[in-house]
Amino acid sequence: MTDYLAQTAVLLAALWPKLVAGFLITVEIATAAAPLALVFGLVLLAPRMDRRVFISGPTVAFVELMRNTPLLVQIYLIYFGLPVLGFFPSEFACGVAGIALQHGAFLVETYRGAIESVSVRQWDAARAIGMSRLAALRHVILPQAAMKILGPLGNQLIVLAKDTSLVSAIGVMELTMTGKLAIERSAASAEVFVAIALFYLALTTVIGGVMRALEYRVAGRF
Amino acid sequence: MAMIEIEELRKSFGTTEVLKGVSFAVERGEVVVVLGPSGSGKSTLLRCINLLEDWQAGDIRIDSEIIGYQADAGGRRRAWPEARAAKVREQVGLVFQSFNLFPHRTALENVMMGPLHVRRMTKPRARELAAGLLDKVGLADKADRYPATLSGGQQQRVAIARALAMQPKVMLFDEVTSALDPELVGEVLIVMRRLAEEGMTMIIVTHEIPFARDVSDRIIFVDGGAIVEQGPPAAVLAAPSSARLKLFLRRFQGDYLAV
Amino acid sequence: MINVLVTNLPYLLRGALVTLWLALAVVSLGTLLGTGLGILATGGSRVLRAVVTVYIFALRGIPVLVVMFLGYYAFPALGVRVNAYVAVGVAQIVYVGAFTAEIVRSAILSVHPGQAAAARSLGMRRGAILRAVLLPQARRIAVAPLLNNALTAVKQTSYASVVGAWELTYAAREIVERTLASFQIFLGVMAIYFIICYPLSLLARWYEKRLVVPH
Repeated sequence: MTDYLAQTAVLLAALWPKLVAGFLITVEIATAAAPLALVFGLVLLAPRMDRRVFISGPTVAFVELMRNTPLLVQIYLIYFGLPVLGFFPSEFACGVAGIALQHGAFLVETYRGAIESVSVRQWDAARAIGMSRLAALRHVILPQAAMKILGPLGNQLIVLAKDTSLVSAIGVMELTMTGKLAIERSAASAEVFVAIALFYLALTTVIGGVMRALEYRVAGRF
Repeated sequence: MAMIEIEELRKSFGTTEVLKGVSFAVERGEVVVVLGPSGSGKSTLLRCINLLEDWQAGDIRIDSEIIGYQADAGGRRRAWPEARAAKVREQVGLVFQSFNLFPHRTALENVMMGPLHVRRMTKPRARELAAGLLDKVGLADKADRYPATLSGGQQQRVAIARALAMQPKVMLFDEVTSALDPELVGEVLIVMRRLAEEGMTMIIVTHEIPFARDVSDRIIFVDGGAIVEQGPPAAVLAAPSSARLKLFLRRFQGDYLAV
Repeated sequence: MINVLVTNLPYLLRGALVTLWLALAVVSLGTLLGTGLGILATGGSRVLRAVVTVYIFALRGIPVLVVMFLGYYAFPALGVRVNAYVAVGVAQIVYVGAFTAEIVRSAILSVHPGQAAAARSLGMRRGAILRAVLLPQARRIAVAPLLNNALTAVKQTSYASVVGAWELTYAAREIVERTLASFQIFLGVMAIYFIICYPLSLLARWYEKRLVVPH
């Protein structure tokens, strides 16, 4: 048993620099894609909530498409499709774009849910003192929606961090890909992936912790 | 001319008619109490006056001006655009049963919301105005507290101050003490009484009969979407002429099993 | 233009069939596993509760792809020879089980505590309380999240292609690498996934609305 542990330790120690390098790429992908997704979701929010069907319709269609097809296929579409049109973005860019598009679509629904969950009585109160719909939105509804969004947002970011592993399918040297390559050179495959799993666990735990702390600070008021 | 004039107001929610041709007027400085069983349309009536609801027929005038609708070029009845309605709501204050304070703002900031974002007052002036009003309702020391940390009675008083901050011509009160614990009701009624004494034009929907008797100039009894009886409190409460009002009052005079 | 898609459609549909089988197995067994674990997580044994909590926490923090790789390499490492489907399938069942357990656990816990208290005061024991009082009410709360969970699981079957199991996405990539008709094939594949997933999505949405109304 100790023999086994010693061997595994040696193996992982040798692999360590590569694993860390892969982990950093993973973090890079996530930090690139997350803000893009957040912004993209905001951009889609206004058309999504527009009352005119010819504006909200296409947005809804796009969101439904993203929700009902696998992210992997979306990434493949971008990676294999753009060269046909004459664009040759890097694998990294394709991966980030795919993740940002899918998560942006999910975030629109999260944003919408938060806004609609602010009680209609708040609208009543704001309008009763003479606020226009826009002023009510700006000063009463959106601030409250922003506070309600932290929980779902945290969960979404964790999923995003995990989704970076898919980019290994198009060859980006992030953590999972590093694992695949390492396997081909050594025998201790399962152990390598256990180590990789622990890296991801650390990442998602940190994200979760930070978001919860944020929620706690903000929610303290009400 | 009366401050508020309601003429043949008809309002339906879908196929259910809730207001069936209500007409009455409220003079400047008059305090009118509206009594009635639940579902009689009292809340809806108030919400129509401050344009939070639309209505199908009838006119409402505030200070002699028709509000809410106008006739367009073809003579058809058209609802006012939201911006114009918002201007009227500056003149008509409404206090809700569920207070509806903004939870993400302190008491002072709640009162400042109207002056700041609707009247475009400068922050120092708005703060001064708000502080004065909070003092008036007895909550000067709670200025920096968030609504969640205040009692129901305190929240309701902040809500009254918030409505007053817009310096409205008329104040509407929609069962503002019905959601409060009994011990907290008094502090709100005191504020309302003082407002009445200062000459504010008020329409109050309430179940507080003794308060109504003391403070109101006139009582209107509404049932099933129509005015059944109205008159000075002493007369209406002591000697109701309609059977329905008699029945309604019996429950408030100890006979809670009346049917 | 669209000919490529049409000629390869039979191949793709065979892949879709494999996807459906995989999805069915994973969702049903995963949900079963997760429901059992979720109930255990609300039970009396502190040890069991702790174990299930760790299990849920660990699996929810790791990408499903990594779990699939683990499954793929763990079996041979333990001396068991299985085909790719079993390895990937078991991995996904374990994964779906964790998420299901969390949904079931929080659904049971969100039933008003007064309910269990009332049942206990009538003399009911744990098993009966679960069956007659808690689960029926928790079920209403859990249906929509479970359907969404199933939806995610169906989409995740596509990741099996990365580990080397042949299903719809694998088939698609094979064809694209041969014909270079990436747009037609991948869009076609997206359409197939959409047809499989959309009804599930609508069902989940419908249940979400149903839950809101009674309150």
